[in-house]
Amino acid sequence: MKLKTSKFGAFYLSLFFVVLYLPVLSVILYSFNASPSTAQWTGFTLDWYRELFRDRVIVESFKVSIEVALLTALLSAIMGTASAVISMWVTDGMKKAIQGMMVLPLLVPEIALGIALLIFFNSINLPFGHLTLVLSHSLFCVPYVYIMVQLRLKEIDRSILESARDLGATTWQVIETVILPLVTPSIITASLLALAMSLDDVIISTYMSGAKTTTLPVHIFSMMRVGVTPKVNALCTLILVGTFFIVGLSQLTKKQNKEAV
Amino acid sequence: MKPPLLSLVDVNKYFGDVHVLKDISFTIEQGEFLTLLGPSGCGKTTLLRCIAGLESVHSGDILLHGRSIKGIVPNKRNVNTVFQNYALFPHLNVYDNIAYGPRVKKSMTETELTDRVRDVLDLVQMLGYEKRMPHQLSGGQRQRIAIARALINEPAILLLDEPLGALDLKLRKHMQTELAHLQKKTGTTFVYVTHDQDEALNMSDRIVVIDQGKVQQLGSPRDIYNNPSNLFVTTFIGDRNIMQVSVVETGETHAKVRLGENVVSIRKPKQHSLQAGEDAILAIHMDKMRVSCEETANALRGVVSSIHYAGSQIRIELKVDEKTITVVEYQKTECECNEGDSVFVVWEDHGAILLPLEEAWIERGV
Repeated sequence: MKLKTSKFGAFYLSLFFVVLYLPVLSVILYSFNASPSTAQWTGFTLDWYRELFRDRVIVESFKVSIEVALLTALLSAIMGTASAVISMWVTDGMKKAIQGMMVLPLLVPEIALGIALLIFFNSINLPFGHLTLVLSHSLFCVPYVYIMVQLRLKEIDRSILESARDLGATTWQVIETVILPLVTPSIITASLLALAMSLDDVIISTYMSGAKTTTLPVHIFSMMRVGVTPKVNALCTLILVGTFFIVGLSQLTKKQNKEAV
Repeated sequence: MKPPLLSLVDVNKYFGDVHVLKDISFTIEQGEFLTLLGPSGCGKTTLLRCIAGLESVHSGDILLHGRSIKGIVPNKRNVNTVFQNYALFPHLNVYDNIAYGPRVKKSMTETELTDRVRDVLDLVQMLGYEKRMPHQLSGGQRQRIAIARALINEPAILLLDEPLGALDLKLRKHMQTELAHLQKKTGTTFVYVTHDQDEALNMSDRIVVIDQGKVQQLGSPRDIYNNPSNLFVTTFIGDRNIMQVSVVETGETHAKVRLGENVVSIRKPKQHSLQAGEDAILAIHMDKMRVSCEETANALRGVVSSIHYAGSQIRIELKVDEKTITVVEYQKTECECNEGDSVFVVWEDHGAILLPLEEAWIERGV
């Protein structure tokens, strides 16, 4: 009986993974297909990748994406950590208010958030470009950093902070010498997550991109209007590898974090 | 005249509506080992945290060297705490943990610091452990590091909050001796919080017994053990048989009291006056009593209800006037008694005390 259910479980799980990863695999596969059509396989080639790097617009939007993602990760790390640490010293009511405001951007539909930001930045005459992209991406990345740092802070024994005070540390020294070293692994993990999320955001970036500053996903989206070319397959493959790398790295820091405590 | 090291003056503290410390006043002298003893929830840890500056007091004052330290933040008080769970910094090794205080206060150069860390590690017998991380140490070792980390700051007072609570019995006994020894060696004033009477009696110069936020008695271990000033201390310290009796007549040093059909003579309390006809409480240490088979003067007549052998100890339970009394004997010499035998219970004169009956205790069914 037990064997049967476990066999069924294995079958179900395989089906699940096939449905989930087969399309992804086909994208990778066709990026190496010599024929520009997905109808047939005519041989292995790296031509699409070569063409990709020759495309000035793609290389340029890739640069924009990376710059925006790095700045977003940095800004979110600072703001998310600061709000989490500050909320240790405020009253319970204030803490709940901070928490609510932090989670809100995750609940508002991205399309509404995008329109709201578009109207707002327009009304204050902020030119669309790097700055608007970083600010809007940070809006949905800060909550992740805040939540992850907050979870770590909850694990820290209050008496450790009290003993630091007791041994002569000022509040700032307690933050600098005890709290920050203990939450650093969480900050790193959360920043990597922010990096990944900023890199593959489409909806908000569509609104925030300037005339000359387009992020890679937005550019891919516009390329798709003319149809899926093997170049897009090659690009998606590269993005996929990059994302897996970042997520893997964040899992690794998480694991190390667990071992240290 | 030199002021005492620390004075507590009418300290009051509330947590919401709960009055946790009620008019606490006493002084702590330079170099003494003072223990705050009481059941859990009595306010002893709160009092310690008030001295450390981790809690504020509602009214009253705390004076260190005669100067008020009320409102002074913990990092500016020359007082250090050893926490119950040690609270070592998990991300720092032993050396950096101990060096933490001097480093944040920038009170020493790094070369001075190296020597001082070595000194305090030597003091707690942990030399050679500098590079270890806290999670690589046993409970007893963490304890020593926590003490060393506090002592390096040369505090005027070292506050210890049930530091042995998490250790096993054998290690606890060992650490008791070691702590008392360390206190004498360094000459540092220790204020020690515990709920364990053995620990308190063992290590302290003086004990402050606290219950329900109030100081019940303050004195030397011997004094507290032999001359409890009220019923709480009588029941909390030492194992005693507590009986309600009525006073028949009072003499110069002793009073005659009646328990059922027994009339016995008991040493009169120093601090209370008793009148003939009044009800009173008679308390006798279990291990200062003895069972006798022959009728003797000044004895209670009882019937043996059970006998338990526990190694070198024999616990005999008897019924005396409907009440159960426990007698602990260390070797059976006097009389071979069995369950159901009618015997006499005698005691050493200084093992018995008389106290006036307090209303609150009648409700508790004494």
